[in-house]
Amino acid sequence: MTQPVEKILVAFKSVPDPYEAAAPGDSGSTAKSVINPFDEIAIEEALRIRERGETSEIVGVTIGPSSIDEQVRAAMAMGVDRAIRIDDARLLDPYAVARILRGVIEKEAPQLVLMGKQAVDDDSNQVGQMLAGLLGWPQATFVSKIELLDNRTRARCTRETDAGLEVIDVNLPAIITADLRLNEPRYVSLPGLIKARKKPIDVQTCQQLGVIVEPLTRLSSTARPARRSAGTRVESVAELVIKLKEEAKVL
Amino acid sequence: MDFSWSDQQRELLDAVSRFGREQLTYEVIENDRNAVFNHDAWKKCGEFGIQGLLVPTEYGGLGQDPLTTVAALERLGYACKDNGLLFSINAHMWTAVIPLVFNGTEAQKRKFLPGLCDGTLIGGNAMSEPNSGSDAFALATTATRAGDKYILNGSKIFCTNGPIADMLVVFANVDKSRGQDGITAFLVEKGAPGFDPSHKIEKMGVRTSPMAEVFFENCEVPAENLLGKEGGGAFLFTRSMTWERGCILASAVGSMQRLLEKCIRYANERKQGGQSIGKYQLVASKIVDMKLRVESARHILYHYGWVAGHRKAVYLEAAMTKLHLADAWVKCAEDAIQIHGGYGYMTEYEVERELRDAIGAKLYSGTSEIQRNIIASLIGL
Repeated sequence: MTQPVEKILVAFKSVPDPYEAAAPGDSGSTAKSVINPFDEIAIEEALRIRERGETSEIVGVTIGPSSIDEQVRAAMAMGVDRAIRIDDARLLDPYAVARILRGVIEKEAPQLVLMGKQAVDDDSNQVGQMLAGLLGWPQATFVSKIELLDNRTRARCTRETDAGLEVIDVNLPAIITADLRLNEPRYVSLPGLIKARKKPIDVQTCQQLGVIVEPLTRLSSTARPARRSAGTRVESVAELVIKLKEEAKVL
Repeated sequence: MDFSWSDQQRELLDAVSRFGREQLTYEVIENDRNAVFNHDAWKKCGEFGIQGLLVPTEYGGLGQDPLTTVAALERLGYACKDNGLLFSINAHMWTAVIPLVFNGTEAQKRKFLPGLCDGTLIGGNAMSEPNSGSDAFALATTATRAGDKYILNGSKIFCTNGPIADMLVVFANVDKSRGQDGITAFLVEKGAPGFDPSHKIEKMGVRTSPMAEVFFENCEVPAENLLGKEGGGAFLFTRSMTWERGCILASAVGSMQRLLEKCIRYANERKQGGQSIGKYQLVASKIVDMKLRVESARHILYHYGWVAGHRKAVYLEAAMTKLHLADAWVKCAEDAIQIHGGYGYMTEYEVERELRDAIGAKLYSGTSEIQRNIIASLIGL
């Protein structure tokens, strides 16, 4: 059932600030959180589509406890019309996230769903694909350009692949995941931030959505990678070759 | 007093840090050499909300308190190496925006403040004259009422933003026989007949902030551009200067923090005599002094911001803040050069520029000597 785009849903995740992230294993970290940079690109794309007059509404959705409300407000400060936070503090795997998002999408009925290609904290790169599978919708992943065609019922997407720039058309509704080069997100202005404080956050639970999820994967531990030991200096090329042969055994 | 940030303050200050880091880290060496003002960065700061931090929301500002404002400017100073841009923004905020907020008519505020907040308009003031600096109220520029206009004659010097300004708050005397009580402020707009702000002045530091000598030759100013009352200029100027003294070096605290971190990095990397120079006590001691100076500068700044948000009379605190921060910034920049040795003296290392940028702080907005006079008079001397 194809309808022209009227509502875009953008899914975003709160992740540790890549500029100030604490090292794994650091306890009591006070590291700041930000919107996952790829999701920020997805939000920016939705804003640009709205600025071209090709959608009338943008709904943001994220999953997490109230401590991520600052990122929800940041999304609204960028220009998302309203935001939904699914209140769930559990560590969710991509399949659980996709199933929750499916619940939101069935309720909101957007014609286009945008999100980053992956989150920079767990690098799973699965939610968009799983969500398309669960919904039976077409998907375009790693997208660096989006054009809406045929009275906004089809999206022409450019993907960056090993073979070059691949152009594919997907009928809407569809899931599109954003790559780095899709756009450069705008910064959150202070007037936008202050206005966003007045917009309510729509907090919902999985129960209200009628979605029962139990993560299929469990985090067993996180550890700091082993430190690299200091190298040694060699006097000559001949000595290097001997060491590579006898000590490193790579020759 | 309580300096812990509320969630809203922290969110705002984090946004300023991020904006500075992502939008204002352009190269400055060439712009400094050629005395080029970065209009694009000015516009970005306006759109982001810097120029309107203190302005009430009904006029396009953000209605923030003085403490949040100085802390935001400190973060901007830390992220942005272009001290000239920050100097221009400060001149604009304290000498054009503040007088309008406190003394503008409703019509004047509606006409100018939204543009002054969002980066579309640039403001400044014109007070100092070739023969009146520290003795500011001895100014010779005159204003004569002629029907629905005033006619201004005279010249002004050291006019920050002069060559790029859309409007200046100009001080002139309407009746010299009244002395200080004749001083009156006017809003002079770019293009006013007989107004010439085109004579640029070359200077030692903050070179990316344009400065002009400004001439008024039978300059016509509509009567509705009278700012405040006739004879109210001295009071208006004093209020504007008090704000400026308290806030103008907020960004310098950020600059000092940046210099401190740069010195620590360099002292750890630079090896002489088989060890990092930071291991030599004479170098370490200098850096410890820098750290103390930055912290005490930040404390006196935040204290000023807090006091300014809680009571009216902040004349003493403003003078102490200005005096302390100017001295601290100059000393910090000088020590930073010493720690970097010969490299610190070279343009490429971007340490010498900080010293050139800092030194003016002992001169503008009242010299350090004037600040000492003010403080002395206020503590009973």
